[in-house]
Amino acid sequence: MNRKVAIVGVGSSKFGKRNDVTIRELTWEAVKEALEDANITQKDIQLTIFGSTAYRGTEIYPAPPASEYSGLTGKTPLRVEAACATGSAAAFSAINAIASGMTDIVLAIGADKMTEVDTSTSLAIGGRGGNYLWEYHMYGTTFPTYYALYATRHMAVYGTKEEDMALVAVKAHKYASYNEKAHFRNRITVEDVLKSRVISWPIKLLDSSPISDGASAAVFMSEEKVKEWKIEDPIWVKGIGYSSDTSYIAARKEWTGLNAAREAGAMAYKMSKTSPQDIEYATVHDCFTIAEIMAYEDLGFVEKGKGAELLREGQTEKDGRIAVNLFGGLKAKGHPLGASGLAMIYEVTKQLREEAGPVQHSFKKYIALTHNVGGTGHYAFVTILER
Amino acid sequence: MEGIPLFMKYELPDVYKEFWDGLKKGEILGTKCKKCGKIYFPPQKDCTNCMTTDLEWVKLSKEGTIMTYSIVKQKPQGFENFQDYIIAIVRNSDDVDLMCWLLDKNPRVNEKVKLTSDGKRILCEGEQK
Repeated sequence: MNRKVAIVGVGSSKFGKRNDVTIRELTWEAVKEALEDANITQKDIQLTIFGSTAYRGTEIYPAPPASEYSGLTGKTPLRVEAACATGSAAAFSAINAIASGMTDIVLAIGADKMTEVDTSTSLAIGGRGGNYLWEYHMYGTTFPTYYALYATRHMAVYGTKEEDMALVAVKAHKYASYNEKAHFRNRITVEDVLKSRVISWPIKLLDSSPISDGASAAVFMSEEKVKEWKIEDPIWVKGIGYSSDTSYIAARKEWTGLNAAREAGAMAYKMSKTSPQDIEYATVHDCFTIAEIMAYEDLGFVEKGKGAELLREGQTEKDGRIAVNLFGGLKAKGHPLGASGLAMIYEVTKQLREEAGPVQHSFKKYIALTHNVGGTGHYAFVTILER
Repeated sequence: MEGIPLFMKYELPDVYKEFWDGLKKGEILGTKCKKCGKIYFPPQKDCTNCMTTDLEWVKLSKEGTIMTYSIVKQKPQGFENFQDYIIAIVRNSDDVDLMCWLLDKNPRVNEKVKLTSDGKRILCEGEQK
């Protein structure tokens, strides 16, 4: 990066089924909190990047109306989309705009209203998340099916069990119970997960993140402005990595991990001059429980095939070797596709600033990462942050 | 309050007619670049490897191995009236990986299967059916 970039304000709406708001009011919940957190106003913002997948809501071009409502007209809401990694794509674009020297203060917003269509329609839109003709049209793929194909292979090759995957959901719900903005706050057991309705075997209902409405936002600032304005406690972007994989899942040659995530991770570690051993806290993309187990392996927290073991040993709990998803993860906090990547940045920022209340992890080096996957590895972004 | 529904109807270009004609005859076709020999599945009209458009249709092997699978219980729009179906990824003996519907009742990863077709999609079945 040509110039250092900091995060100086974060905001997030309550996630869940939000019948009480349209995407405009929902967006404002996150934007208002981020602006207040950064102690700036809309006038200070030079550029807005708006991340939304938009297909499940009535506003299929949501950037102008949501930006207008938020008082950001004239700040060019550039809309970006990278499926479930849309929020990270917005952050990536904001970081680049500053690192390049183009701008100094950028607001990245992620918002999606996903509950405005019925479940069958939502499944059909998700099933087209890969390759329409050669997957959805011919075989009726659903989004859970794609991750189920990974789960079946991981189980066959490494002996990962349905009970192991259930532990991811149990952990997520436990931590979400402390998060007042989470979609689900009920605690569940392994038994509950195993007994829940099969969606696409071996993925069951409680292995799956919910269909959620939500918005998140973050204010990014150049080092020059951080110094000029004497910003207290900025969180620095230390490295960022990105990659992608084939749209047709069958073409990937291996189904026990996501190559895009491994490549994005390697790029982020290299840029930030860190290694997996330096990371003390991570938000990982747990849209389905198997995804969190694969993330541990893809990010190098453990060697391949040992993801379930790390979980069983409790190493990814609060104050464990590397704490993961202490706000409840996508699984229980919720997964509004456009918002999730920025919700991860919100969470890591709160953790690094030691503002996470009952789920505050203890840090030594204050280095953390976000891992956000779009589609089933169609996109991957890894961001390494430091206080 | 109900929003105004959005109906979207699609007309697909029949770019890969040969593939669909092949399926009706129980053949699985891919394309092969005449210059570099790269096989494409799903078929492509253009070889992005050597920047040519000189590809030919080739029959792919119908012997394969199950790499992974999933049993679809909750079906998406357009598939609601189907019985539960099993989507598998199969590696054939040409080392081409393809998606198919698996007809076995008790499938296993690494099971040997034969690839067939119902004229609309690729199917596969093992010895146990």
